Amino acid sequence: MAYLTLSGISKQFSDSYVVKDFSLEIEKGEFVSFLGPSGCGKTTTLRMVAGFESPTTGNITLDGVDITDSPPNKRNVGMIFQSYALFPNMTVAQNVAFGLRVRRETASNIKQRVEEMISLIHLEEHAHKFPYQLSGGQQRRVSLARALAIQPHVLLLDEPLSALDAKIRVSLRSEIRAIQRKLGITAIFVTHDQEEALSISDRIVVMNAGLIEQVGTPFEVYNFPQTQFVANFVGSLNNAAAEVLDPARGLLNLDGIQLITASDIQSKKKGDKVRISVRPERFSFADVQRKDNVLDCTIENITFLGSVVRIQVKIGNTKFNMDTFNNPFLELPKIGDREQVSCSKEAVLVLDE
Amino acid sequence: MGTVNTKPKSTNETEGGAKRPPRSQIGSWLGVLPFFVFSGLFLIGPTLVLAYRSLEADGGGFTLGNYRQLVNETVINSYAMSIRISLTTAILGGIIGFLIAWAVSIGGLSRPFRTITTTFSGVASNFAGVPLASAFVFTLGRVGAITALFKLLGFDLYDSGFTLYSFFGLTLVYLYFQIPLMVLVILPAVDGLKRDWREAAENLGATSFQYWRYVALPVLMPSILGTMILLFGNSFGAHATAYALTGGLFTLATLLIGQQISGDVLNNPGLGYAVAMGMVIIMGVSILIYSVLQRRSERWLR
Amino acid sequence: MTVSSNSMPGASEKKAPSRSSRFWAWLIFILSAAYFLVPLGATFYWSLKAEKDILGFEAYKRLFADSNFLPAFSQSVVNAAAAIFLSLLIIVPTAYWVTLRLPKLRPVVEFITLLPFVIPAVVLVFGLIRLYSRPPLLWTATYESSRVLLICVYAALSFPYMFRSVDNGLRAIDVRSLTEAAQSLGANWVTILFRVIFPNLRVALLSGALLTFAIVIGELTIALYMAQHTLGPYMADLTRSKVYEPSAMAIVSFSVTWMAMGVIQLITGGQGQATGGH
Repeated sequence: MAYLTLSGISKQFSDSYVVKDFSLEIEKGEFVSFLGPSGCGKTTTLRMVAGFESPTTGNITLDGVDITDSPPNKRNVGMIFQSYALFPNMTVAQNVAFGLRVRRETASNIKQRVEEMISLIHLEEHAHKFPYQLSGGQQRRVSLARALAIQPHVLLLDEPLSALDAKIRVSLRSEIRAIQRKLGITAIFVTHDQEEALSISDRIVVMNAGLIEQVGTPFEVYNFPQTQFVANFVGSLNNAAAEVLDPARGLLNLDGIQLITASDIQSKKKGDKVRISVRPERFSFADVQRKDNVLDCTIENITFLGSVVRIQVKIGNTKFNMDTFNNPFLELPKIGDREQVSCSKEAVLVLDE
Repeated sequence: MGTVNTKPKSTNETEGGAKRPPRSQIGSWLGVLPFFVFSGLFLIGPTLVLAYRSLEADGGGFTLGNYRQLVNETVINSYAMSIRISLTTAILGGIIGFLIAWAVSIGGLSRPFRTITTTFSGVASNFAGVPLASAFVFTLGRVGAITALFKLLGFDLYDSGFTLYSFFGLTLVYLYFQIPLMVLVILPAVDGLKRDWREAAENLGATSFQYWRYVALPVLMPSILGTMILLFGNSFGAHATAYALTGGLFTLATLLIGQQISGDVLNNPGLGYAVAMGMVIIMGVSILIYSVLQRRSERWLR
Repeated sequence: MTVSSNSMPGASEKKAPSRSSRFWAWLIFILSAAYFLVPLGATFYWSLKAEKDILGFEAYKRLFADSNFLPAFSQSVVNAAAAIFLSLLIIVPTAYWVTLRLPKLRPVVEFITLLPFVIPAVVLVFGLIRLYSRPPLLWTATYESSRVLLICVYAALSFPYMFRSVDNGLRAIDVRSLTEAAQSLGANWVTILFRVIFPNLRVALLSGALLTFAIVIGELTIALYMAQHTLGPYMADLTRSKVYEPSAMAIVSFSVTWMAMGVIQLITGGQGQATGGH
């Protein structure tokens, strides 16, 4: 049996659902992200695990114990708030000690544990500062230490990296992941940033409008999105309308150009309208021997993005983006040039709406 | 200061000539001049006159004698009564006002009750002086409605020793503007308590009591204490309400000064000035402590 | 799809306070409401009792018919209006320039605007009389000249309210950008002040003015010792000489304050300010 189980969770406010039929099993030590746009119910689900909301229906069990109705202060679940929620009247050390203090631990235990936690987040010199004297990144680390000090069963992180500089975000997220691995703690991480979710998680739960769209490893979610929503939300994507030519062989018609897909379109009929999706990095300039689809195109635009060069091409009447890795010897076509691009049949996705 | 002068204004500077101060800067000083003149004439000047006279010996020259004479039964008694009433109304008003602010902010009363409370507080904190005194005379005076009601129930308030014209009565009246002032000043601080703090405390295992004991009250304490000191000053300097209620004959520092203005009741003008300056000093100190505490609380509640 | 996509922070914002906390909240509210409403109720009741055995507005009729009432009332209204006008004239440029060009002066200005809280009214009037009632600065020679002095003092006493109100207003509209935008379009400072700043400050100016009005209209202490026949001293006399009229007077005065505060509440959307200094 899984360590943390959410089964059939729904949350209703007045007559609308914020979360519906949410079922998930999380193993001990696993790092799971809830990914979705704001309002998709990810934070509400997290708050139900913490006990700040109670589900309208469904159960939550932790280590075999049903905690659905237990109060938040009895759950021993650590939470990191989006606003850090550090107590302004306490120093860093006092903040970290708070959970132990209300548990009436002995002074020596508290002291030892606080020192351990503060060295874990490398804030030894700041232990006696107040939160308003710390930077945003330091405040996040303190809230992490405070949550970990009580040795929680599960660590919940509610968008803990929002409103930080890009550089600090990246370094802090690897720090969080490293600490989580080191302690072997089970963690749920809520974010709307797909790159963050992809980089940090063992598994990602993609949510939309209160429902789970897909659960899978970052690799699966990115490369094998099961729905149009997931494909669009995770990574960037080209979308185009096409028509089914031959369901059995996976042949499609895009503005009079033939395309082949590996997606299962057996259930479609010839002439059905479908939407196809292709990730920009799946295109490349023609490598005729190996690729399933070789397409004539016109170069429309070239954008230099640093590590990547994004080239907009027109295939038939549809514009596609293709991404190529930058290197100093790259020979770029000119706008207006006629070229051929290719992509494999696996790259052409036909997804449920 | 020179933000407006960043554009090159070569016309102002003749070659090799001395730099004139930019015209706009003189204009700015003219803009604030009336403020300083007015404050000087009507706030600072009168106070300085009192300060000067309080330090002036009878035949001219400097003396501290007037301040030494403050240790005088009449003066001590009125100061003591003023301080007693101010302390009592500050503490009571502070506690009750805080409870009301809690009730309308996070206690669970619905929005309209909050609006009613803040608007009413705005009115009641300004409803001092004669009308307030009258209202209490009609309620708890000898023939007041509540007094009459008690009489009907067979209990004579005034026979039992109660009178509106006493420490207790004045306290009851002062609370009518002290409590609302507390509500108005403390409400933003109570609103400033973040929900996340409560949840973080619960999440870390704290009970509701522990949250208030270790987080909420300590966070609010500078505001609460500071506002109580503000209330202290507010009551300490109050004159009109006490005057209207007692005809100016009660033992109270402000009333003593009033009597000193009308006729030298202390038989020593210099002492009168010292009594007045003593009030200014006490008020100044309390406002100072108030602003220090308020600044600290703003840093926390930002 | 039955699932709503409304943003969940809005929906989950309120975790209902516990039942016991709501009980205490109600108890506190009801008890304090009783304390605050009973004196008003009792006063109102008295004000209706002037005629034997029937309730009616006789006390109000007598009050308005009193030959001293209207002059005192109108004098107070005129004084208040004049003080507000003066105060605006002084504070608006001060706040504007302190925000824009003389930020170094801000602590000084803020300190001075605290003075009315530090100097009790009775001490202030004491000093005023000592300063202005004899040469070389004789200002209280006639009733009218004393009245001018009173108005000026009221204006000075309103500085804390007015300054804070205008200062908040200026902060809310980012006066620097507005001024620079107007300057870049070729406006001079008179145009800027009257066409750009004032219209954007209407709410702040009005609430500062109303607050001043509420404080000044029934002011007793200073008017009393400067022997002015305004509403404050009139009300004090009334309580000594009449039985029922003071109750009517208290109700009228309360209603005036209530109206001023109500309008502030309306125009500022509940951002009304704390006051002090009685």
